[in-house]
Amino acid sequence: MRSTDLKKGSAELLILSLLAREARHGYELCKLIEARSQNAVRFKVASLYPLLYRLERRGWIAGRWVEKAGQRRRRHYRLTSEGRKVLESQRRSWSEFVEGVRRILEPEHA
Amino acid sequence: MPDPSTSSGSPRAQSRGDWKPEIRARIAALERAADYDDIVEELAQHLEDRYDELVGEGRSEADASRLALEELARDGVLERALRRVEREPIPPQPAIGRPTSGGWWRGLSSDVRDGLRALGAAPGLTLVAVVTLAVGIGANAAIFSVVNAAMLRPLPFADPNRLVSFWGSAPAMGLPVVAYPEGLYDYVRKRNQSFEGVAAYSNPSVTLTGRGEPERLKGAVVTVNFFDVLGRHPQLGRGFVAEEEAQGRNRVAVLGHGLWQRRFGGDARIVGQAISLDGTPLTVVGVMSEGFDFPAHAELWLPLTIDPQSLDCWCFATVGRLRAGGTADSAGREMARLNDDFWRDREGKPRTNPGDPPKSLIIAKPMSRALVGDDQLPLLVLVGAVAMVLLIACANLANLLLVRANARRRELAVRCCLGASPGRIVRQLLVESLLLAAAGAALGLAVAFWGARVLGRRAMDRLPHVQDVPLDPAVLFFTLGITLATVLVFGVAPALRGGRVDLQEAVKDGARTTRAASSRRLAHAFVIAQVALSLVLLVGAGLLLRSLANLLAIDPGFRAENVLVGRVTLPWPEYRDESRTRAFYQELEARVGGLPGVQRVGLSSSAPFSSGNNQQIFSIRGREPQAGQPKLVASVRGVSTGYFQAAGTALLRGRAFETTDTERTDLVAIVDETLARRFWTDGNALGHQVRLGDDGPWRTIVGVAASVRHGDLAAEIDRYVYVPTVQMPSVEMDILVRGAGDPSGLTAGIRRALATLDAAVPLYDVHTIEEVVERSLGPRRLTNALLAAFGLAALVLASLGIYGVMAYSVSLRVNEFGVRLALGATRRDVLALVLRQGVRLVALGVAFGLAAAFGLTRYLEVLLFRVQPVEPLVFGAVVVILALVALGACLVPARRATATNPLETLRAS
Repeated sequence: MRSTDLKKGSAELLILSLLAREARHGYELCKLIEARSQNAVRFKVASLYPLLYRLERRGWIAGRWVEKAGQRRRRHYRLTSEGRKVLESQRRSWSEFVEGVRRILEPEHA
Repeated sequence: MPDPSTSSGSPRAQSRGDWKPEIRARIAALERAADYDDIVEELAQHLEDRYDELVGEGRSEADASRLALEELARDGVLERALRRVEREPIPPQPAIGRPTSGGWWRGLSSDVRDGLRALGAAPGLTLVAVVTLAVGIGANAAIFSVVNAAMLRPLPFADPNRLVSFWGSAPAMGLPVVAYPEGLYDYVRKRNQSFEGVAAYSNPSVTLTGRGEPERLKGAVVTVNFFDVLGRHPQLGRGFVAEEEAQGRNRVAVLGHGLWQRRFGGDARIVGQAISLDGTPLTVVGVMSEGFDFPAHAELWLPLTIDPQSLDCWCFATVGRLRAGGTADSAGREMARLNDDFWRDREGKPRTNPGDPPKSLIIAKPMSRALVGDDQLPLLVLVGAVAMVLLIACANLANLLLVRANARRRELAVRCCLGASPGRIVRQLLVESLLLAAAGAALGLAVAFWGARVLGRRAMDRLPHVQDVPLDPAVLFFTLGITLATVLVFGVAPALRGGRVDLQEAVKDGARTTRAASSRRLAHAFVIAQVALSLVLLVGAGLLLRSLANLLAIDPGFRAENVLVGRVTLPWPEYRDESRTRAFYQELEARVGGLPGVQRVGLSSSAPFSSGNNQQIFSIRGREPQAGQPKLVASVRGVSTGYFQAAGTALLRGRAFETTDTERTDLVAIVDETLARRFWTDGNALGHQVRLGDDGPWRTIVGVAASVRHGDLAAEIDRYVYVPTVQMPSVEMDILVRGAGDPSGLTAGIRRALATLDAAVPLYDVHTIEEVVERSLGPRRLTNALLAAFGLAALVLASLGIYGVMAYSVSLRVNEFGVRLALGATRRDVLALVLRQGVRLVALGVAFGLAAAFGLTRYLEVLLFRVQPVEPLVFGAVVVILALVALGACLVPARRATATNPLETLRAS
């Protein structure tokens, strides 16, 4: 999964699915991806933020500065309804892709 | 651009809050991006988080700083990535925040929501537009419906275009309408070639007796072919047959639907049964269908027995059904020829020498026009007024929508920039306009239904042939169409042109484009038109109001207040004996005079403003007209001794009739002032003698009474001859009772007094004189009230229009005012500048309006009473009112202009 191509194709899906339940800020997204992939996938500033801005430009996510008492001012991102649709269709094609790969691999194990 | 490795040499420099210089250095090329500062802050936050985390893991501050900065990657990577994002095209979106997919209909509900929100955001403008629409649609549809029912809709007869009415006219004798006598009718019906059939009818009142209370009814005596000529036949039983014209066979009647329901419970077995009319038994042969009450709301039809020799009663109206291809004109010419033939046959020589002007004319008109008569003009005036209000309403709507569209230009342009397609924006505006139109149309329909009901009731009272006034669907669709088209065109047109707008230009604050200037010119034209039309309407309303005021100021010659009038008809032949009639009425007058609450009682053969008006030829002794000279006609009244005091008519000379004037003493008469002044320069007619008819007895004039008006305050005053009723008894009299207060409670007492004299005699047609005078003013008041309402509506609409345009114009020139104020102009200068513009528009409108009013008011002349069509007072007052209101409407935006803050406007540009 360290391959840049794979990462590029799936990075959007990762971010969209992490924003599906709640709004999050960039650093939080970074840490979540690291933790859930057990450090298999890692984003740096130079890769994460351009991606976030691209998704925002496409209207799939929307960023907003939020100030909470006793915390730093942070930019939170949430999924737009448009982004939710994109997430649904990417999830579907990703599952199909994974299923396809599994079918190819299976006979060799058999 | 600093290297992260060199930066690591001074770790404390990367402590909290100091990441930004590093970041700025790495993306310096993006500095001009709109969100540059946001990006820098967000990335700084990220590095700070990372630094805190590393320190928390036990790293040294220097280590943490270095590792955090590694996040930014090598030189140029971040910058290139961000630039790629910037260059990526924005995918097209229908409108901001709206789903892209789902087809044309998907976004419609959200468009409706947005539209409602947009309309709600400008409640004043929305309200004015909706009210404008409601007035435009409602008033037009209602008034057109009345006009349609009265003038345009066919009469409720079969093939009504072939029905022609004809009558005689003797203007030289002061008799514009002369009904036909039986003999002439008989002559015409046997000889004419123009008609398939000719019917004659009159409408006497009859008394239904026998069952319950005697009831006075509006009846009709008609020739047996009456129903055939009109092409309407009874729903039960039959009409009359030819034999029923013969004396002795004519004891039959056809009932009206209302009478049948009311008196006979709608019992179908009534056909063939006997009823009693004025004591005479008749057999019911038929019942007419609902709604048929011609002529004059008749409830009962009786066959007319024609005596070809009789010229006794010149009281029959005629209607003929043209043969195919005939016209009213050709029929009229034939009727005129038959008229001459009739008199020549009868008198053995032509009535007029060749070359002399005819003594009488025959006038033939299509029945529809004959029935509507004089009512046509007020209706046409109202239609004209309605058309003007419609125009004003449309101009106003157009203006409101133009102003609105311009106010929203930036909003629309921003949406264009955000990717909304022109089609999508047009649809949004279309939905908004439709919402506005729907609200206006709904309210307009309510106004139309209500208006048609109210106006219809008034019209039906006045126009005998109008049965009902349904709201005319064609008219409704027409007005709906015009106003809604206005809304759609002016609501959406700005958006259609929006596609060609330079978006950048539009988005920039305070943009001026030629487009704004051209729509402003259009708005100015609308304002001028509104002012002009309003002026015409107001002048018309003003002239009519002044006419009404003049009418109300007229002295009718009697005191109308607190006088109750009822009609009494003694049955024939029981009261054939004149002495019996005389005794009955003398006793009635005495008994009613003794009732509590009664001040005065009088009898007259026809009370002022009651339906009858007996006119007769008269001559003055020593001044009899020579052969060939026109004869004189006067209104003749038989009155009792108490009449003048009961009616409140002053005696100017001589005396009233007294109890000493009896059938055995000298014959006397009283004439009115108009007659007296016409024949005696000093008006002193006392001692002179008059005669009624060609060969009546001479009567000595013993008094001169004030002139009175009968039936119409605006009409020319008739000449009057009063005769004591004892010297000219009549079975039919009006009883006038002057009460101490409101006389309507006296009816029961009069009825009781009447019943003690003869239980079979009803009191009918009971009314107060005030009521009938007021009723005679009804159509005039209706026309006036409507025109005044239109004038007011026009004034309000026009002032709103002026306000809207001036406000818009001021908003466009805010910059200019700012510059002027900055350059030293005073607020007063700016106020004057705006007012000058408003004054120019209003002055132009007034000029056009005056020109139109000068041209149009002469069509009102027939409706005016003692007012010139170009009355300076009315014209002057209207111009002043209009100018004041219009300037008031300019003043609000003008004051707003003076409140311009020069600094703000300069900064904005």
